[in-house]
Amino acid sequence: MSATTIPDYGTLGQRAAAGLKPKGLSDEQKIARAKQAFIAGIDADMATYLESCIHCGMCAEACHFYLGTHEAKYTPIFKTEPLKKVYRREVAPMRLFNRLTTRDITISDLEDWKELAYDSCTQCGRCSLLCPMGIHIQSMIQVVRNGLAAAGMAPAELQAVSDEQRDKATILGAGPDRLREAVERVRAQGIEVPLDKEKAEIMVLSSALDFLKDEQLLGATARIMNKIGADWTIRSDGFESANFGALSGDKPAQRRISKRVIDAAVATGAKKVIVAECGHAYPVLRWEAATLYGKELPFEFLSVSEYFGQESKAGRLKLKKPSGEVSHVTFHDPCKLGRMGGSFDEARELLGAIGVKLTEMESHGRTNLCCGGGGGVSMLQSADKLRKAAFELKREEVERTGAPTVVTACNTCLQTLEKGKQWLSWDKEIVNLVQMVSENLD
Amino acid sequence: MNEGLYWQGMTLLDFARGPAFRWSVAIFIVGVIWRLTMLILAKRKRLEPPKGAPVAGGTKAVATRSTPPGELYGGLTTLLTRSAPAHELEKNIVFQHYSGYAWHISMFIILFLGTPHMLFFADILGFTWPTLPGWIITFFTVITMGILLVLFARRLMNPVLRKISTWDDYISWVIAFLPFLTGFMSVAHLTPFMDYETMLGLHFLSVCALLIWFPFGKLMHALVIWPSRYKVGAAFARRGVRA
Repeated sequence: MSATTIPDYGTLGQRAAAGLKPKGLSDEQKIARAKQAFIAGIDADMATYLESCIHCGMCAEACHFYLGTHEAKYTPIFKTEPLKKVYRREVAPMRLFNRLTTRDITISDLEDWKELAYDSCTQCGRCSLLCPMGIHIQSMIQVVRNGLAAAGMAPAELQAVSDEQRDKATILGAGPDRLREAVERVRAQGIEVPLDKEKAEIMVLSSALDFLKDEQLLGATARIMNKIGADWTIRSDGFESANFGALSGDKPAQRRISKRVIDAAVATGAKKVIVAECGHAYPVLRWEAATLYGKELPFEFLSVSEYFGQESKAGRLKLKKPSGEVSHVTFHDPCKLGRMGGSFDEARELLGAIGVKLTEMESHGRTNLCCGGGGGVSMLQSADKLRKAAFELKREEVERTGAPTVVTACNTCLQTLEKGKQWLSWDKEIVNLVQMVSENLD
Repeated sequence: MNEGLYWQGMTLLDFARGPAFRWSVAIFIVGVIWRLTMLILAKRKRLEPPKGAPVAGGTKAVATRSTPPGELYGGLTTLLTRSAPAHELEKNIVFQHYSGYAWHISMFIILFLGTPHMLFFADILGFTWPTLPGWIITFFTVITMGILLVLFARRLMNPVLRKISTWDDYISWVIAFLPFLTGFMSVAHLTPFMDYETMLGLHFLSVCALLIWFPFGKLMHALVIWPSRYKVGAAFARRGVRA
């Protein structure tokens, strides 16, 4: 029950990048496209944030990449500089004056900001909690990513998978066929998996990343769903939680990818769509998909730990407490489920039902420190050094709890914690919440 | 006072607290209204139900969506709660945080509880209020100037601040500092090469400069802080998170 169930994201990223087809844009076209995407992203909220910065630099002190390196360029608000420049020159009420004082963005600005918007930002949103002016910096960085992606300048690792997922509905070649194979292997273990049921109350999502290496996670999820006795299905035409369009910043791709899930859920008549343990997938589907789709949705998105936690609380999911020694754990809140998703209590409800001793880290819940791998960063080899520096902060917080086990509810976090364990020869056990639950069914 | 001939027979002080001040206030008001109006653009509609709200369909869902009480509450509470971030976030910014508090509070004490300031406002408002002794106001002025100088030095030396500072930060610093300096020099009668009235005139002019610059530079943060905090509070509250 550890990261051995999921593949190494860095290796996957490298494999994907090798297949990227360049867009062949001139520098002028790149700048024009980036500007267009920046301006499209500036709504009333964004304009307010852009007007508000007092350049106090406090956001740096919330960012794991700045705290880990103390390099000024990793100050969160600095990562939005190209967007700020375009706002000042093209949109701001003071734009005529600003054109005299703010130089236009250049191709080298965009090149430089690739590292700042991708490698050094997991979009964890912690800076948005500290800014005294209340600037939602994380949402601004996503607009910077949108601009870079529109200019064809997103990292090859993310753009290649985004293109593949947009066009073929597969991730690194894994699509419906690989899902069917994985389902067969789970069924061979005696676990029922209702694949492609015509109608169901609940549609469960998986991810190619979850079954590229083995089918343990798929099996664990199925066991729990069956135990709850839910009317559920998994659809081969809309099973993928991950959205590489969102990670690369390619907004049209993001829209197309999330539409597949929505269409499948509508066809199934689902009331609930359960998103797999895939960090970014939850906020992308829960908080962005309907707006991109253009319609309110007739079902709700829940993360898998959120759903299981709710079922446990309602008494429909019964878990057993261990008879022997109580294990001591700490819980790493995935940023995308917690701070960016509002799901904190459900995972703790499950841990309570299993009966483990939970010691919280100093930064937990809404102020949790990111593991350093979210937002697609775990796939970027260029970000390895930064991730190591950021991970050190996480390690320190984990160490202070004294818990030998770290539980988390996101596979990217799990991957990152496992990687950190490898880097540091760390003696901690890293455990996936869904697998932990599936092993403690009553 | 003949305003048509204000260049003639008018001292600097007369000019500063007369036409210069009136024009500055007018520019301040028009500028602030203009800049805030420019922020009220078409708001993007979010189609996802807020945390805890029912999904689409049904009267309950419609009613919940039209008045998002959670967002309103989240936005309003963040106006205040953001002033005191969680310990684990604040522990690294103690100096910036408290120095910021110290000089802003000091500024308001000087502005509203200094006798000459109260009398100036009383002239406009028509009523008076108790003030603090002059020496206390002078003390706060010195403290404020001291903090502002330290913060200025910090902006010049701290790598993060150097990276993100713009011309606006330095102009705004000078504009914010001058009223304290000229006010202090007037009260302390430190008026080299000029009489007291001229120094007081310069004090008024420094305030005029502040009023004129206010809507166009970062001093405007005194107003945009509120919609910004509200919006971040509401955005997080929508997701069921306290900002």
